Amino acid sequence: MSNDPDKVWPTGLTLKEAEEVHSYLIDGTRVFGAIALLAHVLVAVSTPWLG
Amino acid sequence: MASLRDSALRKIQTIGPRFLPFADVATEAVPLSRLLRLSLFQVTVGMALVLLVGTLNRVMIVELGVPASLVGLMIALPLVFAPFRALIGYKSDIHKSALGWRRVPYIWKGTMLQFGGFAIMPFALLVLSGYDQAADAPIWIGHSAAALAFLLVGAGIHTVQTVGLALATDLVSVDEQPKVVGLMYVMLLLGMIGSALIFGWLLEPYTPGRLIQVVQGAAVITVALNLLALWKQEPRDRARATRVETQPEFRDAWRLFVQGRAAVGLLVVIALGTMGFGMADVVLEPYGGQVLNMAVGATTRLTAVLAAGGLLGFAIASRVLLDGVAPVQVAWWGTLIGLPAFAMIIAAGPLGMVSLFVMGTGLAGLGAGLFGHGTLTATMRAAPRAQVGLALGAWGAVQATAAGIAVALGGVIRDTVAALPAAQFMRPEAPYTPVFALELAFLLATGAVLIALRRREAGLFQTKHYHRALGRPERPAAFTDPQPRDRRPTGEEPHDDSRLTAL
Repeated sequence: MSNDPDKVWPTGLTLKEAEEVHSYLIDGTRVFGAIALLAHVLVAVSTPWLG
Repeated sequence: MASLRDSALRKIQTIGPRFLPFADVATEAVPLSRLLRLSLFQVTVGMALVLLVGTLNRVMIVELGVPASLVGLMIALPLVFAPFRALIGYKSDIHKSALGWRRVPYIWKGTMLQFGGFAIMPFALLVLSGYDQAADAPIWIGHSAAALAFLLVGAGIHTVQTVGLALATDLVSVDEQPKVVGLMYVMLLLGMIGSALIFGWLLEPYTPGRLIQVVQGAAVITVALNLLALWKQEPRDRARATRVETQPEFRDAWRLFVQGRAAVGLLVVIALGTMGFGMADVVLEPYGGQVLNMAVGATTRLTAVLAAGGLLGFAIASRVLLDGVAPVQVAWWGTLIGLPAFAMIIAAGPLGMVSLFVMGTGLAGLGAGLFGHGTLTATMRAAPRAQVGLALGAWGAVQATAAGIAVALGGVIRDTVAALPAAQFMRPEAPYTPVFALELAFLLATGAVLIALRRREAGLFQTKHYHRALGRPERPAAFTDPQPRDRRPTGEEPHDDSRLTAL
């Protein structure tokens, strides 16, 4: 098992699995970013800050 | 370096699995505690439904002063996505992932949609209502932001519920499905009742700040509960990702799903029955208040009576289904109970009998509980293992659409009759009687289709020697099976997969 050539050090995931985990992280960051941006715009519309 | 690497790998392997969200492969039986944890996703669905249809509906109209027609439109928006449940379920059936998951990614994405919708919703509603400086902003900002928030939450609910139910179906054997269905329904109901009470209590002194706190709190709780529900539930099948098999297109998969079997008949029954039981939801309380002169507190207790009837229905259905009664039979009982229930509700108005009305309401809840449990169990049983997502997606699409249309139709019929020029000369129950009568008609139609469905199934059983209660070929009855647990690991599927090989 530990000598499986597909497994990448140090996580023990294969490259494909690691890429998939990474894609969840990236997608999540994008969604959270977009939601946060939108929420800020909406708050700025109703109670503007910075003048 | 190599030895360091090896020892590190070994160490990670020993501590790894405990902290990873994967289930052990080939778990024997899924214990009740794990199913209970999985059913938490239904609590978040119930919470979202209550927030959309109940709490925010009121807050938008009363506290925020948004026109009722606009509120109705916004609340109806999530229904747009209901038919896509079948597609979502199908996608999760054929999903390929290197990690070996197919349900978890969808439930996670659905959770994100639900979270995102709730995160922007309070601000969108405040802008929509022209709070503070928002009154100067162009009107389309509020409209589109609120619409986006409702659409996100709706899409999230549909995804989470469809794929969550599919995961639950994957996890248990056929003879345990009634238990899971009962659990899912009860958790949905408890989630709805509990969150309705908590939201009402939290929003009591209403301030815009409190609205933001409550809705965003719901967003965080959604993510937390759904993560808790998902953790270590779905076993990994990494071989699925490397398997080279051509997956059927959605159209082919759908054709396969509806072909030959009673699938379409069952969907028609679900649509008609859901309409029959669902229309009363929004008119029961005003009926009690306006026609029978019940106080506000008493009409609120009506909802409790309806829910208690539903819980009793789920309990009875779980019990008799575990004893081997056919799910279609249970749905039939539910329909039969619904008929006198709505007759009693109709009669209670002219007679002025509150007790008759309350009894009818409880019976309607009981009938709806039996009917809902029976039809969902029937859907799960009829689903071939490879099409579980599609089958539950179809169930959800039909059920959610029918329920939405029923609620809208009930309100529209009442308002239309009440707005007639001759309305002031009519008896107070005049706007309500057509709604309840239409429910009776829908239930009669449901019963007729059910009779046809049972006759057809009876014919099938006779010709093919299917087992009476379980409807799958040449298997001993589940409860006499000496080793029911051995089925899944050995790969012999309890579901009928014969049609899949037809592709």
